[in-house]
Amino acid sequence: MLIGVVPFFAAFIYALGYSFGVMGVLNNGFTTRFWESVFASGEFLKSFGYSAAIALVSLVLSIGGALWVTLKFRRELDKKFLSFMMYLPLAIPGVVAGFFMIQLFSKAGFFARIAFQLGLIEKTAQFPDLVNDSLAFGIIVAFITMLIPFFTLLFLNVYKNERIEELSILAHALGANANQVTRRVFLPIILKKTGVLIALYFIFLLGAYEVPLILGQESPQMLSVLIIRETRQFDLSKISEGYVVAVMYTLVVSITVILLFLPKRKKAIYES
Amino acid sequence: MKVSWKPYILTLIVLLIGFPFIFMVLLSFSSSWRFPDILPGYFGLKNWVTILGSETGLLQSFIISVVISLSVGMVSTFSGFLISRAVFYHKRRRILTLFAYFPYVLAPVVFGACLSFFFLKIGLFGNVTGVIVAQFLVAFPYALIFFGSFWNKKIKSYEDLVATLGGTPRQTFFKVLLPLAKSMLLICFFQTFLISWFEYGLTSIIGVGKVQTLTIKVFLFIKEANYYYGALSCCLLIFPPVVLLYFNKRYVFKNLV
Amino acid sequence: MFLEVQNIVKSFNNEHVVKELDFSLDAHKTLSILGKSGCGKTTMLKIIAGLVEPDSGTISLKGENITHMRPEKRNIVYLYQEDLLFPHLNAFENISFGLRLKKIPEPQIKEKVNHIIASLELHGQATKMPTQLSGGQRQRVSFGRAIITNPSLLLLDEPFGSLDAGTRQRMQSLFKKLTQEYDITSLFVTHDLKEAVLMGDEIGYMRAGMLQVYKNKQDFINDPDTGVQEEIEYWKSLKG
Repeated sequence: MLIGVVPFFAAFIYALGYSFGVMGVLNNGFTTRFWESVFASGEFLKSFGYSAAIALVSLVLSIGGALWVTLKFRRELDKKFLSFMMYLPLAIPGVVAGFFMIQLFSKAGFFARIAFQLGLIEKTAQFPDLVNDSLAFGIIVAFITMLIPFFTLLFLNVYKNERIEELSILAHALGANANQVTRRVFLPIILKKTGVLIALYFIFLLGAYEVPLILGQESPQMLSVLIIRETRQFDLSKISEGYVVAVMYTLVVSITVILLFLPKRKKAIYES
Repeated sequence: MKVSWKPYILTLIVLLIGFPFIFMVLLSFSSSWRFPDILPGYFGLKNWVTILGSETGLLQSFIISVVISLSVGMVSTFSGFLISRAVFYHKRRRILTLFAYFPYVLAPVVFGACLSFFFLKIGLFGNVTGVIVAQFLVAFPYALIFFGSFWNKKIKSYEDLVATLGGTPRQTFFKVLLPLAKSMLLICFFQTFLISWFEYGLTSIIGVGKVQTLTIKVFLFIKEANYYYGALSCCLLIFPPVVLLYFNKRYVFKNLV
Repeated sequence: MFLEVQNIVKSFNNEHVVKELDFSLDAHKTLSILGKSGCGKTTMLKIIAGLVEPDSGTISLKGENITHMRPEKRNIVYLYQEDLLFPHLNAFENISFGLRLKKIPEPQIKEKVNHIIASLELHGQATKMPTQLSGGQRQRVSFGRAIITNPSLLLLDEPFGSLDAGTRQRMQSLFKKLTQEYDITSLFVTHDLKEAVLMGDEIGYMRAGMLQVYKNKQDFINDPDTGVQEEIEYWKSLKG
């Protein structure tokens, strides 16, 4: 059991110590100045808000898309070939997704070539910024590409396990129309059953690294990228500030996890 | 007809999914593809021949990746299985499971940045063992949580039954628990293998560029703007998981909800 | 006495599940125990099997104190309501499981298992996997697996609870036959009144963690708590 817990706390305490200047190269005794400067610059909040916004937009669009595909195509996706096709995107890691987005959307990429051939642009510079852009278009598209298939498969699974087909027929028999079945049976059951997992995915996206590293811009950056950039700097006080952000990020994630999983503790039943 | 648009959308979905794979393969066969051209200047086996000649070290990266991922997959699956048993029978199993979630949901790269000091101290910095240990720290909590759903009253009943039939704990483990868990052990192995196979951030921090797994290679090629080799390494990175998925797709979602 | 249980007490979370358990049983006899769900019968059986540690009291088998002995050393088999066949083994391998644990030579295993398969009326089922067997067949395999190890004491926890009425009746008479053939000593827990009367050489009634063993069947029938009187009245009233 300790294998999981000890490194986590060791890492946290190290980061905490570093952020207060009691550990690391710049070991000058306890100081709160790194915390003050992080708060003064507002960089953490900006990065946090930026990451949360990207995660939220990606998640909402992916879940919306996946729900739609599940609702409209669940019968077709039961077929062998199509069901395997839906699994294929799970084999694409973040690094590859990022690489692929560059190939598609960069100023000399696939779509830029097509735009040129169609006479829409004359120089690469005319092609819009779609990667490393301020609206994080590339990052969001990459996330959606990876998430829609995952959530579709997840929802299809819940659809079967929770016998939503039978429940829908029952609801119809009780006088509900198609729209009501979707809103009162399909959506609530699926979202309730997958709620915790969706929340977990929000946290995963919040801490995503490879995709924003490849497709992100200079500033603001997503949390993981910011933390790694700061802690790898030559400027020693920047390193401490990086650990301040790391500590805050860890706290936010930990508290979320506790809120997500602790309420169920009441249900724990001892052997009787 | 109301349903007639469905086949078009389905075809579109299939094309969208197939596109990245086809694109990567084609790109890996290409070179000197200058901007406005729709087709590359060269198309052939040149890039693939080069990796077999090991000039770029890609083959070596592939082997390192396989070794690392196999080790991480096996060690975390087996230890996760053993330890999840102790967790399940523990009175405070909810709290213990909660602890397992902390390292699991934390971004591995941030975890790695905070741990790199300790890895440096015990000499696990910049070598394969260090990367295996680091990835294990992420894959192990996954395995622990994964096996949480295996242990239940019924399994406990099996254990009790074997005890009353005269079986020692050792016999119970090898003759009953392992066979019962066989398919789950297999899935967990594939999942932890994939966690390790796809891992970039943690590997880059603990490996400091000295342990070049495939994901690290892809990144280097992106930085060098060598997209043809980049696509080639992407192919090497994608196709083993595709094969694994083909054989295991029906299990992937078994324990998530 | 063959089995002696004295002053066994067990509580979970300050709740007395078993209080002052006190009874004994002769060899080759079956004590059937009637009780509603939650009366502590399962806990009682698990304590005797060694799967649950009692807070106090002693258990002795053939004059030997086994209160703190490990379950695998007691030679007491505990059977669940579920048949719990090993899904990865066929019927033959399920039955021989206990013998293989004891590393008994192969020819002997074959002979014993084939003999018991015949007694259990399971001809032709030996190579079937558990999922290919019916509920009654599975329960018989589960019995065979227990009896073949020649246990000193067999503990049955509502063994026929999940079977339909017809199968249940056939299993009851088969069990009767087997107890005689293999000289089995057993505790048979059930919530079915008729089954309790039918299966036991002696009868006990358990309520709220207390077990009362009756001197004879007449005492059991006369006790208004057991529900026998009510049952008799009901059938009488139908008859008019």
